[in-house]
Amino acid sequence: MDQETSSDDLNRIATAAGLPRLSDRQLAQLGKSLASARELAGKLPKDLHWSEELALTFRLPAAGEAP
Amino acid sequence: MNDVSELGIAEAAELVRGGKLSPLTLTAALLERIDRLDKRFHAFIRVTPEPALAAAREAERDIGAGNWRGPLHGIPFALKDIIDWAGLPTTAHSKLLIDNIASSDAHVSARLKAAGGIMLGKLATHEFAIGGPSFDLPWPPAINPWGGNHFPGGSSSGSGVALACGMVPAALGTDTGGSVRNPASMCSIVGMKPTYGRVSRRGVLPLAYSLDHVGPMTRTVRDNALLLQVIAGHDRADPGSAEVDIEDFSAELDGGVRGLSIGLVRHFYTEDMTADPEQSAALDRAAELLGELGAEVREIRLAPLEDYATCTRIIIRCEAFAIHRRWLAERADDYGELARQRILDGAAVSAADYIDALRLRARLTRQTLQAFAGIDVALTASNMDPACRIDDAEACARLYPRQARQPFNVTGQPALAMPAGFNRDGLPLSLQLIGHPFQEARVYRVAAAYERATDWSRRRPPDLAIRAG
Repeated sequence: MDQETSSDDLNRIATAAGLPRLSDRQLAQLGKSLASARELAGKLPKDLHWSEELALTFRLPAAGEAP
Repeated sequence: MNDVSELGIAEAAELVRGGKLSPLTLTAALLERIDRLDKRFHAFIRVTPEPALAAAREAERDIGAGNWRGPLHGIPFALKDIIDWAGLPTTAHSKLLIDNIASSDAHVSARLKAAGGIMLGKLATHEFAIGGPSFDLPWPPAINPWGGNHFPGGSSSGSGVALACGMVPAALGTDTGGSVRNPASMCSIVGMKPTYGRVSRRGVLPLAYSLDHVGPMTRTVRDNALLLQVIAGHDRADPGSAEVDIEDFSAELDGGVRGLSIGLVRHFYTEDMTADPEQSAALDRAAELLGELGAEVREIRLAPLEDYATCTRIIIRCEAFAIHRRWLAERADDYGELARQRILDGAAVSAADYIDALRLRARLTRQTLQAFAGIDVALTASNMDPACRIDDAEACARLYPRQARQPFNVTGQPALAMPAGFNRDGLPLSLQLIGHPFQEARVYRVAAAYERATDWSRRRPPDLAIRAG
């Protein structure tokens, strides 16, 4: 269980994620996920900027190109 | 012909085409071998003997009538069970999809069918290609025939095991963070993750659509090129499919490495991670051998492994959760523990972090391709360690991230894993070769030269009596 997240908070986070019926055991798994996500986010480079090109940018088809 | 289970695609195709081997004999022999061995190794979720024998009879008739379609005609194969084959369940090794009958063929299945291949059945995978090895699913996990009771790698675990056991000469797997190359490495076979977009994913259950690849798995490099030739090609129904020319993937197989430039990414397995000493020595020896064969081998540096791993893990988590969210909401109990944990991980990642991971992906790809300027192919580790026991959950969890495959899911470059020896316990060691986008033939050229200079691909698990057929 993620020590930083209370049971109520886990329920709230699960519901917000569209998972309102997780069991206690599954909520504990979500707690581990939260801790792991924080760790991963901390490893992202700090100099990523909005001006860097996205890998998946929305693009309309060009003239003559199939939609 | 006493031992057809030993034959690869190329050898069997030559015999079949020349009328010296009947597709029916070949298919029946492999079905017998599956029946005899699979109780122990669990490579298959479902074997389909009757349709296979019927297809073999048809192939025999067609070839006898002079209508040979190519090297896959009359040759048996099997599919990882996240790939649709019309009329059969696609279960993803999960209770959730136990009755999920495919209404049509995946693009790759249709290609194999049109080539005259003989489908023998559906192969074990980690649940939804993410949760394994697991013992709480409707089918047991596949067991590696190398070692006593060892992990075969995953998630295309059944594909690796079926090939190593001589049950099939060809199989398909999928690779999102290394899932073709991991079982190839642990089972001492050849697995290629082609360039992103080279092979259509239509009809394949996605794990993370921006990183998913379908790839050929075989026992030899030549067979791998032949199998990729059949499944590669543009498909408008797959938005990631690339509209590029299909080269002859076998064209350079006999070209040798003289004059080629090979970049050794040594920091992946000596600095970023410290590989098992025998694995590390096997990689250094492979680099030396390629040099002795005439290649110019020099070290190159890419971004640290951890950068690629962070990028891959965030993208997989988010995309997998987006795919599974409704099932998780309604049927969370029907997942195995491991798959549920790994998919739930995506519920905890912020949208901003996902977008930053995509930005990081673009940056890493640009840097990596720049580092490849001036080299033909790169050489590095696939796994950092040989296989552990499959019933040692802690060891499996510890070994799983100790790999160098994810960088090339991030960049989309073609990457092949193949045998590179055995450790003192007789467990397979491996290497990975990486090429420029859409230059699979060059990767196969280097792999074939290394394969010819060693005998690793000819060795078989010691206690299988594979030659007894």
